[in-house]
Amino acid sequence: MNPLGEKYLRKDFLPFLFCPGCGDGMIVQSFLQAVEDLGCRENLAMTAGIGCSAWIAVYIHADVLKVLHGRAIPAAIGLKATQPSRTVVTFTGDGDCLAIGGNHLLHAARRNIDMTVVVVNNQLYAMTGGQVAPSTKVGSKTQTTPYGNVEKPLDGCKVAAAAGATLVSRWSTAHPRQLIRAFKNALTHKGFAFVEVMSQCPVQTGRYLLGSGSPQFNFQWLKDNCVAVKDTSQRDEVEAQGKIPLGDFLQVEKPEFMEEVRRMNERVKEAKAKGGER
Amino acid sequence: MKGAERIEIDRRYCKGCMLCQYVCQFDVYEQGQERSALDYLMPRPARIENCRVCGLCESHCPDMCLTVVAQMNRKEKR
Ligand SMILES: Cc1ncc(C[n+]2csc(CCOP(=O)(O)OP(=O)(O)O)c2C)c(N)n1
Ligand code: SF4
Ligand code: SF4
Repeated sequence: MNPLGEKYLRKDFLPFLFCPGCGDGMIVQSFLQAVEDLGCRENLAMTAGIGCSAWIAVYIHADVLKVLHGRAIPAAIGLKATQPSRTVVTFTGDGDCLAIGGNHLLHAARRNIDMTVVVVNNQLYAMTGGQVAPSTKVGSKTQTTPYGNVEKPLDGCKVAAAAGATLVSRWSTAHPRQLIRAFKNALTHKGFAFVEVMSQCPVQTGRYLLGSGSPQFNFQWLKDNCVAVKDTSQRDEVEAQGKIPLGDFLQVEKPEFMEEVRRMNERVKEAKAKGGER
Repeated sequence: MKGAERIEIDRRYCKGCMLCQYVCQFDVYEQGQERSALDYLMPRPARIENCRVCGLCESHCPDMCLTVVAQMNRKEKR
């Protein structure tokens, strides 16, 4: 066990249930490096839904709620509402977040709730055996699309930004330094931060979509197919080539939901004390 | 130049994915013959003298079971 693992992992839950070479363990490590660099473990409270990627939260020795499939974001909102000093982080998969939990993503982003959502994108439902997800490319053969997927995929980063997220980044497990930096930005950002991580799943994505179950092949695929971009025109170019743009796409400041509610309550209290209605 | 005192691979957790070998730029690892507690063939840091303690293998190990321990008090060579 490396020193970061010694310090932060729940030893009685090890080994990780992830398959050999899975990107999920790399995300645990990058996230813990961010927590270590910021020294923010004390206030850390995490939620996770269902899927391989949801297990990331479980291994980290801090407060964690593991809830129903797709419901990790509402649980996180509850943690933030009941104790605003918490640093709230949700770990979710592309299926958990964009399919069954898609509605929650929209409304948490719209309200700009002060939390971080980490979406692990392995381009399909891995835990259940490689079924099509909203992130799966057109034409892909999965367990449930044996003749090729006919549905157009959703870009989680664009959805989050359009809904009102105030920080949006996408990196990959093959870019750990940039990923750690993005996690640190997200954890210290006041508002709704959405960090998508392209991750290798040699067992399902590799086997169904990429043609090899080798961890090395799947890791190299990320290196070859994910391209860091600086601006939106570069982003469009990379997308037109059929590749996946990476970058820190958005960071702005906007009023945050919990603070607005607190302000409203104070306003109402003051008005009442003065004998007015509101 | 930095060098490694030793490279520890925790045999309780290694899954033999060999990503450590794949990311290493200095050809430190080879496939070993020893099996981990999880019954996977583990890597062996066969050429540890090549190691520059860049930390890539450690930061990429999906099971967080690899530790590179740097040499202490080694005079800078140029
Ligand atoms: C309500 C409900 N519906 C369906 C399932 C079955 N199920 C478990 S995990 C999963 C997909 C998870 O996919 P994703 O979020 O992409 O995570 P991954 O396993 O790929 O990391 C599904 C459909 C469930 N557990 N609960
Ligand atoms: S099925 Fe895929 S995502 Fe799930 S643990 Fe295995 S490699 Fe990782
Ligand atoms: S990267 Fe880690 S789990 Fe994979 S073979 Fe190397 S030491 Fe073992």
